[in-house]
Amino acid sequence: MDYIFQTEKVTKSFGGLVAVNDVSIGVKEQSFTMLIGPNGSGKTTLLNVCTGVLRPDRGKVLFGGADITGWASHRVYEAGLVRSFQIPLPFLGLTVLDNVLGAMRNPGESPLRAPLHRSWLDHEQDNVDKALDILRRVGLARHWDQPSFALGAAQLKMLEVARGLSAGAKLIVLDEPIGGVDPASADEILSYVSGLKAQGLTFLVVEHRIDIAAPFADYVYAMDLGRIISQGPPGEVLNDPKVIEVYVGRDEAC
Amino acid sequence: MTTGNGAASRASEFFLRREVLITVALLLVLTWLLVSRGVSLLLTILIDFAIFTIVTLSLNLEVGFTGIPQFGRVIAVIAGAFAVGAIPGRLLAWFMGLPHGLSYAEDAVNYKVVPQLSEVLAGNAFLAVVFFLFSLVLAALCGAAIGWLASRPAIRLREAYLGISLLAFGDFFMWAGHNWEPLVGGTTAVFVPDPFRIVWGYRFQAVVITMLVVTLLIYLYVERLTRSPFGRALRMLRDSDVAAGVSGKNIVRVRTQSLMIGSALAAVAGGMYVIYTGTCTAIGFTRLTWTFWPWAYMMLGGIGSNAGVVLGVLLLTTMRSIITVYRFKLFGFLTVWGIDPLWLEYALMGLVIVVVVLFMPHGLIPAKVEPILPLGRVKKALERTAQG
Ligand SMILES: Nc1ncnc2c1ncn2[C@@H]1O[C@H](COP(=O)(O)OP(=O)(O)O)[C@@H](O)[C@H]1O
Ligand SMILES: [Mg+2]
Repeated sequence: MDYIFQTEKVTKSFGGLVAVNDVSIGVKEQSFTMLIGPNGSGKTTLLNVCTGVLRPDRGKVLFGGADITGWASHRVYEAGLVRSFQIPLPFLGLTVLDNVLGAMRNPGESPLRAPLHRSWLDHEQDNVDKALDILRRVGLARHWDQPSFALGAAQLKMLEVARGLSAGAKLIVLDEPIGGVDPASADEILSYVSGLKAQGLTFLVVEHRIDIAAPFADYVYAMDLGRIISQGPPGEVLNDPKVIEVYVGRDEAC
Repeated sequence: MTTGNGAASRASEFFLRREVLITVALLLVLTWLLVSRGVSLLLTILIDFAIFTIVTLSLNLEVGFTGIPQFGRVIAVIAGAFAVGAIPGRLLAWFMGLPHGLSYAEDAVNYKVVPQLSEVLAGNAFLAVVFFLFSLVLAALCGAAIGWLASRPAIRLREAYLGISLLAFGDFFMWAGHNWEPLVGGTTAVFVPDPFRIVWGYRFQAVVITMLVVTLLIYLYVERLTRSPFGRALRMLRDSDVAAGVSGKNIVRVRTQSLMIGSALAAVAGGMYVIYTGTCTAIGFTRLTWTFWPWAYMMLGGIGSNAGVVLGVLLLTTMRSIITVYRFKLFGFLTVWGIDPLWLEYALMGLVIVVVVLFMPHGLIPAKVEPILPLGRVKKALERTAQG
């Protein structure tokens, strides 16, 4: 099959708690694949295991034909996989613009070339053009010169998305990108993102707000208590009694 | 803000800025010291200023930009000092057919050999310059090596654990040098050949000017280095190493590079210091002077701010010198209450740290958050992409 990304029986536990239990998923190239599930079902942990933030206890992570299990984050990035964080991790001492630029490549990152400004200024200039375009898409262009600590919660979420989009990755993994964003802008951003599929990008998106995100999804995985409980096209999965039960059950508990 | 007399208000705004006021006040104090105490005190202050500006810039690179808890700055200073104390003199002695093996550092041999070497350097300007430059390069290389070594625990350890292990590492080096004579004479000092003897009579002035030039070059280097994508990567590591990793930064490599560059610069300061004093004693390199004072300078000036570091060092080295010179004259009365004015310097350091932490945590010249690419270029990009 034309999977760009796969996990094979990935398991991760914290002490006695099995956060991700024997999970196998596949993401097709140029798809918008969604991962849903109630809070605490292990979605973020699965992404952490896939992007080098955590190591899996068991199982394999495959990306673009390579086994990237346990690779350090920067190697995963170099392979072409980038992710955003559910709880934003901004670089607080950098401007909004530099937060985005930092996720791009530049020859001036080598300490030998760094003092020779002419060796990287042009590259930086190109990156700035791209970064400003992305910032405009997520509604942050006006704030480009502000320190990122001046942003509000929803804006920080958008900064995470902007960083993910700017990295030049083949697969972009977004962990609850539209949390806290008003429905109209959320819809706008998701349609921009899913439009990028045409340029060869693939998305794996964790989202809590199913109603807004589902229309964009090509394929959906549903998780509960660390396991995949359902998968298929959005219409099927969202009507799966197991999925409904999990969501209704949690809603009643709230 | 007002359009009427914009230039005048901008000028007054400039002169009312804290850092400008302090600089002007400092220059007045230095002038007064020059007039009242003669040129030698001023030169001493300038030497301290030069040496500690380099050390503190290097500390700031690691702490302020990279977020490494560097409590072992003294390690790299010692590496540079020991290297310059132990190696260039031996090489020259070997070249001249004088004792150069382990015995070079024995005091009975050393005090005879080194003056001969200094004589040689005094008679040959080219050799003196080569000797000086070689010493600095050697110091930088040894510093970088020590920085690499120190970076090994930095991969695994975090925050406090790393800080304390770096601190212990520094003490280890001082005591190793103190107890192992062949390195730099152990408990007795090893003398260092003097490449400045050629300008005898103006040696002090020549040393000061040379050191200030080296300091200026290092300042410019650090400024350019930190205003670059590399500098941005350092700051990313400092702010969130997890996010930096996911953004493609090799955390281990960048941290290692920061430690190697910072340590190389600190070692240059250590090497220049022993050339200036003409001797190298292990026990002289205490963590108080070479780690904790630089921390105080950096905190006062502004963590992550190169310009702040320069002002912080100038302010505090001047104050320390004034205390040293005048402590008995001005503060002798303290003995009435059983306080020895000798301790004033330590009290000053404590006071500075407390005041900074409580009242101006960002220092005299806080680090600015601004784009790496010059503002003008970003604005042009803004216009260009807005049209597209
Ligand atoms: N670093 C951690 N240490 C211990 N437990 C964790 C850690 N990260 C997540 N967990 C636990 O793992 C489970 C799954 O969490 P998470 O992956 O964040 O779920 P989701 O993203 O689906 O809301 C939760 O019970 C959570 O408390
Ligand atoms: Mg989550």
